[in-house]
Amino acid sequence: MRKSKSLINNLDWPLLVAFLTLICFGLMTIYSVAFNEEHPNIFSFSEKYGKQIMWICLSLFLGIIVFLIDSDVYKKFALPIYVVILGLLVLVLFMPPINGARAWIGIGSMGIQPAEFAKITTALLLAKYIGEINLKQLNSNNVLIALIIIIIPMILILLQPDAGTFVVFTAFFFVLYREGLTFDPFILKFVNIIPKVKFKKTWIGSHFIPILFVLVFLSILTILLGHKNIGIIPGLPLYGSLGIIITLLVISIAGILFIQKFGTKRERVKVRLIIILSFIIGSASSYFVEYSFGHLASHQKDRIELFLGLKEDPNGKDYNRNRAMAAVGSGGFSGKGYKNASVSSVKTNHVPESETDFIFCPFAEEWGFIGGVILLLIYLFIIIRIIVIAERQRSSFNRIYAYSVGMFFFYHFAINIGMNIGFAPVIGIPLPFFSYGGSSMMSFSVMVFILLKLDSQRRHVLR
Amino acid sequence: MNVENRRYVIISFILFVGVIYMFRLFYMQVLDDSWSERAHEISEKRSEVTPPRAIIYDRNGLKIVGNKTYFNLMVIEENMGENFDTLSFAKLIGWTTQEVNDRFTEIIKGEGVYYNKYSGKKESNYQKSRPYPFLKEITKEEMVKIAPFLSAYPGFYEEETSMRSYPYPNGANILGYLSEVNQNEISRDKFYKPSYNIGRSGIEKIYEKQLRGTKGVHYIVRSAMNNEVKKYENGKYDTLAKQALPIQLGLDIKLQAYGEELMKNKKGCIVAIEPKTGEILAMVSAPSYDPNILVGRKNISKNYPILLNDQDKPLYPRPTQAEYPPGSIFKLVQSLIGLQEGVVTKNSAFLCNRALVGCHSHPSPSSIAKAVKYSCNPYYYYMVKKVIEQKKYPNRYEDAEYGLNLWNAYMKSFGLGEKLKSDVFGLRPGLIPNSSYYDKWYGHHRWAFSTIRSISIGQGEVKLTPLHMANIAAIIANKGWYFDPHFVQSPKKSYPLQIKKNQTMVDTIHFDPVIDGMWRVVNEPGGTGGLARINGINVCGKTGTVENYKGSVKQKNHSVFIAFAPMENPKIAIAVFVENAGYGGTWAAPIASLMIEKYLKKSISNPAKEKRVLDAVLNNK
Repeated sequence: MRKSKSLINNLDWPLLVAFLTLICFGLMTIYSVAFNEEHPNIFSFSEKYGKQIMWICLSLFLGIIVFLIDSDVYKKFALPIYVVILGLLVLVLFMPPINGARAWIGIGSMGIQPAEFAKITTALLLAKYIGEINLKQLNSNNVLIALIIIIIPMILILLQPDAGTFVVFTAFFFVLYREGLTFDPFILKFVNIIPKVKFKKTWIGSHFIPILFVLVFLSILTILLGHKNIGIIPGLPLYGSLGIIITLLVISIAGILFIQKFGTKRERVKVRLIIILSFIIGSASSYFVEYSFGHLASHQKDRIELFLGLKEDPNGKDYNRNRAMAAVGSGGFSGKGYKNASVSSVKTNHVPESETDFIFCPFAEEWGFIGGVILLLIYLFIIIRIIVIAERQRSSFNRIYAYSVGMFFFYHFAINIGMNIGFAPVIGIPLPFFSYGGSSMMSFSVMVFILLKLDSQRRHVLR
Repeated sequence: MNVENRRYVIISFILFVGVIYMFRLFYMQVLDDSWSERAHEISEKRSEVTPPRAIIYDRNGLKIVGNKTYFNLMVIEENMGENFDTLSFAKLIGWTTQEVNDRFTEIIKGEGVYYNKYSGKKESNYQKSRPYPFLKEITKEEMVKIAPFLSAYPGFYEEETSMRSYPYPNGANILGYLSEVNQNEISRDKFYKPSYNIGRSGIEKIYEKQLRGTKGVHYIVRSAMNNEVKKYENGKYDTLAKQALPIQLGLDIKLQAYGEELMKNKKGCIVAIEPKTGEILAMVSAPSYDPNILVGRKNISKNYPILLNDQDKPLYPRPTQAEYPPGSIFKLVQSLIGLQEGVVTKNSAFLCNRALVGCHSHPSPSSIAKAVKYSCNPYYYYMVKKVIEQKKYPNRYEDAEYGLNLWNAYMKSFGLGEKLKSDVFGLRPGLIPNSSYYDKWYGHHRWAFSTIRSISIGQGEVKLTPLHMANIAAIIANKGWYFDPHFVQSPKKSYPLQIKKNQTMVDTIHFDPVIDGMWRVVNEPGGTGGLARINGINVCGKTGTVENYKGSVKQKNHSVFIAFAPMENPKIAIAVFVENAGYGGTWAAPIASLMIEKYLKKSISNPAKEKRVLDAVLNNK
């Protein structure tokens, strides 16, 4: 009795309320978008809103069960459930494809996507593993195992193929970065081959993940700038990598001059080295990307250009995005009003998938800029709140898990809404607690309730 | 490095993305309108419904212009699907597969063509998602055969249109015809869209704005498949198509039809006016054609060239555009001017001096009435000489200038030599010369009455349209005033016609001797218009026999007759002009009398007279 009372007292109400609000908004939008005059009752189970209510109830039920399970269980059984889900991920590859992907297990519309649950099990196992190793004395095996835990499900998911969830799995790299997982064991192996050099840690190793993100960003920028000769500075013929290399050079020189004036002597040497090194790596990779992009087969080039939205694909994904953006843009400042979405309603079908992957656009069309910003703020609140929860955990298991959940939310939020406003490639991932669909609703509920449970019992952990 | 601080890097990154997204949303939704314009384009469709044109009735409430429903078989290529069975479709519409394929090519190349003012070229903006007419203007009977099977051919659907239909095959030159708008008209007036029809002549052109009605506009939300989903904002902005109110003409379609019948195998025209109102009762132009043959694209392209190339010019509206010398009927107006000017009295006598000007054999007239009766040329020579030479100036040239301009002012007050202010399409002014006209020919002060004397008997430079001639009859019937002859009864304020009573410069009292003369022309032995006599009706008339030349070759005289009846209470004023038919009394007079009798009595008392006219072939064929 006392225990359950403390559970409720220790529950993170702000997060729970925010997430219930999202569910209501989501249901409301689905009711508007998929409204069918023949079944006006929101509980009509033949319609998507009725089904969504069913999924919500099922998810809350699952959540409550999860909440009643002692939090130690997750740590204890992290490996077995990880393996079970891996098994399902393998099994799913032998299922008949639905919409070109073998992602579903189950009968008819009641199927589930193991990939959704793989996110949870991977997060749990990663948390367990990293929590148990000594980050101060990493060896290359530790790093390798951590990577393998992430990469095995990623490969299986890519085989389905499910590009969306695949990309979402890179969220774990943020977690690794936060935990200070360094890639030094690998880097040092190469660096220390050089005679007389004996580093204990390297800058590249400890910042490997942000560097990786920066490099990906630079590569995309190179292709964007190389496309149709858009210069980095309007009017100057600095196309593609040339523009980037010159920009990097300017920034590097400015950085060196800055540190020369304000840094201590030790910092100067170190920073200068870092700047020169990053300039070389940045320029080289930018040039390399441009060169190899220029030498790709045309169909591969097309695919990349489509992915980046550089090419019009009137009947493909670009079409969807264009329509979605038109829908969002037509919302105006205060929207067209509830149930008045004319572009993104399921009936007009101008935006396919407007109740699942593109659900942001009917919401933004009906509620306008005001509604859109409120929704963005709710998501930002949830993500930041999860990070705050993560940071208050005593155990690194809890923290790593919480960070994983936070970063999943961030990825889904950024990519899904980005898709609707032309800032992200169209890879089908749902908006958590908002999009229509059982798998996403259930897996995110389970994910959040595990987090709430871990958080509510954080004081029990003495470590 | 302290790993704990990395949380701030992550939080900053997340907030950074969030803020960028908010700015993006603000830009897309509030600042940049192009997305919302695109959304309108994608999801809404503005469709216009054009009402059928207004009905036109004659003075007795008979429908003379109506509408008939036709169908266009529309096609949207995008919706056709891949399983279009050309063979069976061709069979359905009774074409060969080759013709069907050719038609598709034609649509793609031709139907979307517009003039691109930027490139200066004609370009086709054919779009697969737009509807184009595959078959145009098919009748209900034809559609009934096709319609039940259309569901097998997705992308094809029927669209109702309406086109003019004329229950009476008469009055083509009055009513005018419609044809497709051109690019100029489309850019000038937003009402028109490609393939709309516009009035090209006659009533249809003059009353275009009153006949076309008010377009209805429907805003619908459409789906990606181009289907209507619902009305935009529940039809808040929708308007109904409204057919314009019917227009009633003063025309008597039965009389018109009778006139056209009488004028068969003749060239010329009949104009009949109700004197009290100025309403045109009939306006026959011969030869004419059935207005139904110029309805619709197919008919126009087939029949218009035939009509255009016919050497008898059926498309030429003679009553309003043919400018003829009036001949002796002009003497009526001359008499009135002479009386008003006081150069003659009703009992003035002049010698029929054939040395002055040719005349036929008759006693010298001892009064105006007799001069009219005998149509004495020397009488009018003397009289008009007195009008022109008023002896106000010692110099005879200056005197003639003054006199001619005074005479011209009188003529203008009869509406002659200028366009009548009317709703009749394509009016010509005719010609009543003034001093500057002759100055141009002969030089200033280089001409006198002797130079211009042939105007006194309605020959020479003087030219009038038959409508003017009929109006002269109406003015005399009214004894001095007239309404401009017009078609529409009781015009509304918005109509391009405002009826105004015009007063001539001749006092009422002077009309009596002229009317007396006109009565004698018809009813006294020796009068030139005896064939216009009708038992029981006092017809007043005046014959004219117009000399005319083709180049310098003299042609057979035109036969002219103007009249009004009954004398006591004139109900109809009429002008009949038969080209190259000889004496006015021979053909024009009996035709006029038949028209008068038909109008006043609804029946003909002298079938022999009617038969003679109907049988006459006077168009030199």
